[in-house]
Amino acid sequence: MRKLGPSTRIFALVALAGAVTAVAVGAAGASTNRQSATTITGAGSTFVAPLIAQWISPLGSAYGYELQYSAVGSGAGIASITSRTVDFGASDAPLSPDQFSACNSCEQIPWALGGTSIMYNLPGVKNLLHMDGPTLAKIFMGQITTWNDPAIAKLNPGASLPSTKITIAHRSDGSGTTYNLTDYLSSVSSAWSSQVGKGTAVNWPVGVGGKGSSGVSAIVGQTPGAIGYADVAYAISNHFSYFAMKNKSGKFTTPGLRGILAAATSDQKPAADNSLSIVNPPKKYANAYPISTFTYVIVPLQSSKAPDLKKFLFWAVTKGQTYAPKLRFVPLPKSVLVVAEKAIAKIHS
Amino acid sequence: MTSADLTADATRRPFTGRRLRFGDAVLQVVAGAAALAVTVLVGLIVWKVFEQAWPAIQKYGLAFITRVAWNPVLGRELYGAGSFLFGTVVTSLGALLLAAPLAMGIALFLTELAPKALRGPVTALVETLAAIPSVVLGLWGILVLGPVLRSTVEPWLHSAFGFIPLFGEPSSAGASMFTAIIVLTIMILPIVSSISRELFLGVPHDLKEGALALGTTRWEMVRGVIFPYSSGGIAAALILGLGRALGEAIAVTQVIGGGVSIQWNLFAGGDSLASKIAASYQGATSNLETASLIYLGAILLVFSLIVNVVAQWIVRRSARKHGITRGGHA
Amino acid sequence: MSAQGLTGPNLRHDRLPRRRAVNRLMETLAWIAAAIAVGILGVVIFSVARHALPALNFNLITKDPIQFSLTNAPQGLRNAFVGTIVIVGIATLMALPVGILVAIYLNEFAPASIRNAVTMVLDVLNGVPAIVIGIFVFGLFVVGRGQSGFAGSFALACLMVPLVSRSTMEILALVPNSLREASLGLGVPHWRTTLSIVLPQSVGGILTGTVLAVARVAGETAPLLFTSSLVGTQTSWNPQHALQTIPVAIFELSESPDPADHARAWAAALVLLLFILFTSLGARWLANRNRSKLAAR
Repeated sequence: MRKLGPSTRIFALVALAGAVTAVAVGAAGASTNRQSATTITGAGSTFVAPLIAQWISPLGSAYGYELQYSAVGSGAGIASITSRTVDFGASDAPLSPDQFSACNSCEQIPWALGGTSIMYNLPGVKNLLHMDGPTLAKIFMGQITTWNDPAIAKLNPGASLPSTKITIAHRSDGSGTTYNLTDYLSSVSSAWSSQVGKGTAVNWPVGVGGKGSSGVSAIVGQTPGAIGYADVAYAISNHFSYFAMKNKSGKFTTPGLRGILAAATSDQKPAADNSLSIVNPPKKYANAYPISTFTYVIVPLQSSKAPDLKKFLFWAVTKGQTYAPKLRFVPLPKSVLVVAEKAIAKIHS
Repeated sequence: MTSADLTADATRRPFTGRRLRFGDAVLQVVAGAAALAVTVLVGLIVWKVFEQAWPAIQKYGLAFITRVAWNPVLGRELYGAGSFLFGTVVTSLGALLLAAPLAMGIALFLTELAPKALRGPVTALVETLAAIPSVVLGLWGILVLGPVLRSTVEPWLHSAFGFIPLFGEPSSAGASMFTAIIVLTIMILPIVSSISRELFLGVPHDLKEGALALGTTRWEMVRGVIFPYSSGGIAAALILGLGRALGEAIAVTQVIGGGVSIQWNLFAGGDSLASKIAASYQGATSNLETASLIYLGAILLVFSLIVNVVAQWIVRRSARKHGITRGGHA
Repeated sequence: MSAQGLTGPNLRHDRLPRRRAVNRLMETLAWIAAAIAVGILGVVIFSVARHALPALNFNLITKDPIQFSLTNAPQGLRNAFVGTIVIVGIATLMALPVGILVAIYLNEFAPASIRNAVTMVLDVLNGVPAIVIGIFVFGLFVVGRGQSGFAGSFALACLMVPLVSRSTMEILALVPNSLREASLGLGVPHWRTTLSIVLPQSVGGILTGTVLAVARVAGETAPLLFTSSLVGTQTSWNPQHALQTIPVAIFELSESPDPADHARAWAAALVLLLFILFTSLGARWLANRNRSKLAAR
């Protein structure tokens, strides 16, 4: 019989390689398919990402779930769950009516409560600086450009402020934290409200954009004189200073557990779509931190992973909340927890 | 074997007009299907991009291309490509302006000036520059180049040339159009210089020696013989470099800072078409914003196609002019 | 060819000192240009190597990343390394046959008009920006279906096909026609000639082209952002889901405030850079060797 020619040998080799690869990939696919029954994927808010990161391993040991979360920003989270690329989305901004209809029978469920810190990098100034809403709005609009501006000095009589230029670090991606901040700025400054408005992404008058809360943190960390905003967990882990904000009662409060909880008591009844608004609470909530927000998980009402999803979410709003305080997230208040559990129960397969 | 065998003169293929066998038919059909698939693919790309951009094209029409706005706030949505077109033009042209003389210098060095022993290694090194992935250059840009530019170069340029509006207020975080221009220059330098080098190598020796024999200096010979002879090819090289710069999204988005406005200060942030898409695509708040971002992509696609076709036309024209067949010269 | 500017008055002897000075200036500038290019390369590689040192250990490829770690538990980028191997591997399997078949068709079968047209199409495909390919594959495969490693591989394959085709065509053209004629003269059918005589001669060149294409797409980020970027931290070999890849990991880590994240990004960048450099340079050396071997026949 003829010896196999070189071309035939080559093609046999290539075919063999292809077959081996196909088998290997198929086997890998099959084996991880077994696992994927207990893989729960999610995407969205960087605000709540530190808390979710703490849930990954206890969830694994409690139920054997593999929680995979990509912190790509609330905007991307809403887009991902709308196109059902993931099992759940996470957003700090409540969905608009258009987003609800695009998502096609989804519901949003409050599952964590935290505060947005206004962080800054001002080497040489040790004490905690004070700030109020109208001044902050002017800073973000580019009307106040240096640290030793009279408006800032007035709020901080004891501090010696340098003439460093202020650099604003804002989010370049669609962000629920941006929604929280712009919601607050719109309520304290009519100029901001009419010129810029509120949203998960806005037309920033000034500043440098960073991707995700980490991106903003990176800019603040590398730029003396920078002011940025992110969930307070980021400020703490990066050892940034943050402002004590003046609330409606005149008190300067910080994004700690007390301030956030006080803000949360200002709205105890979720609306029909389960959203709550606790930004800039009225005067009587004397200890409230005015830039606090609930953050939501967005799930489809009908899901092939309904039993696992429900187990995960029940765990998250109960056991998961025990991981919250050390990251300056406040455990869900009772009234909100009741609504959340009712909403979770609605998920069916 | 004569050199005639080595020219890929496929019109001399010995297979025309033969009886068609089954195996031949199969191979021809399968291979032809692959070629057809590739052609269809390009058409599909154009189709899919315009299809996804259609809601924005329908809503804004051609006015989108020049409008300077990008407001994603629900209820006030307004989008336009104007500022990103400006950013693309500024960064690409800036990179080309910096890269062109450098690339010419490198090509001349490698063909005329370098000692024989250096030519191979330096050529390889310059081509290695092309192999650096854009994300790595972007990483280097954010963490190394940006801070250096912010702390030394930009303030110096501002103090020395601040009267020119180009060199306004230095950037605060090192992320600016200027940084993007430097990074893009590094990226297109290898392409332009390696094409130029091949062009210069192709200039006939007799022409060069003739000029030198007339008593010209080396530079006068370059200016009088090499440049005119290769002018078509150099134009093509520059255009190919431009095409590369136009389409670069990742490295640019890492270092350009972001912004939606048209202003002259190179040290301010901005965005190009490609970098805006990379930055905002994932978090687009509404279908209209997504469609508008893809509209930016459609504009970018049209630009790249034009640039590509023009470069190919120039190459074909100058190849015909010099009578160059593939694999050797006349 | 006209030699412009080389007319009598310009070459006057009394202007010689000035002309020599200009010449010297230009030569110096050319040396400086080359030095700048080599210098930039050196600076970038040195930067990457220097910053990568703190994270250059086996953890990089044996441990998964930990999101928002509050402790200093060891982490690495294992999921990215595995994902890159899977996605680039599948992309190569997709692009290689298509690229070779196109080259065979253009070089062995196509009349000149079709050859010119398809070559132009290949050049156009080569010039489409990677981010536009990302948008395209997103619209084609991801919308409604979700991200996957396969979608990422398809996007990379679109980038690889022109490179594989072009280098295969070059090497096929270098195979002497006399070989084809001899085979035909012996009565071997055309298809058999192509597959058994011409292709084996070209294997070296095809390999070179493939390696160069792999080196090119191993570092591509933009198409993967659209097709395989929503990932967690666990390592997976399953291309039906989105997989983390080295370029996307570097991209995400580059915007973090944490210096430890930066160190990991540098380390991954160094590994990527070394892989690309060795394969590119090795492929080019192989290509030169093949070309001279074929030309010597």
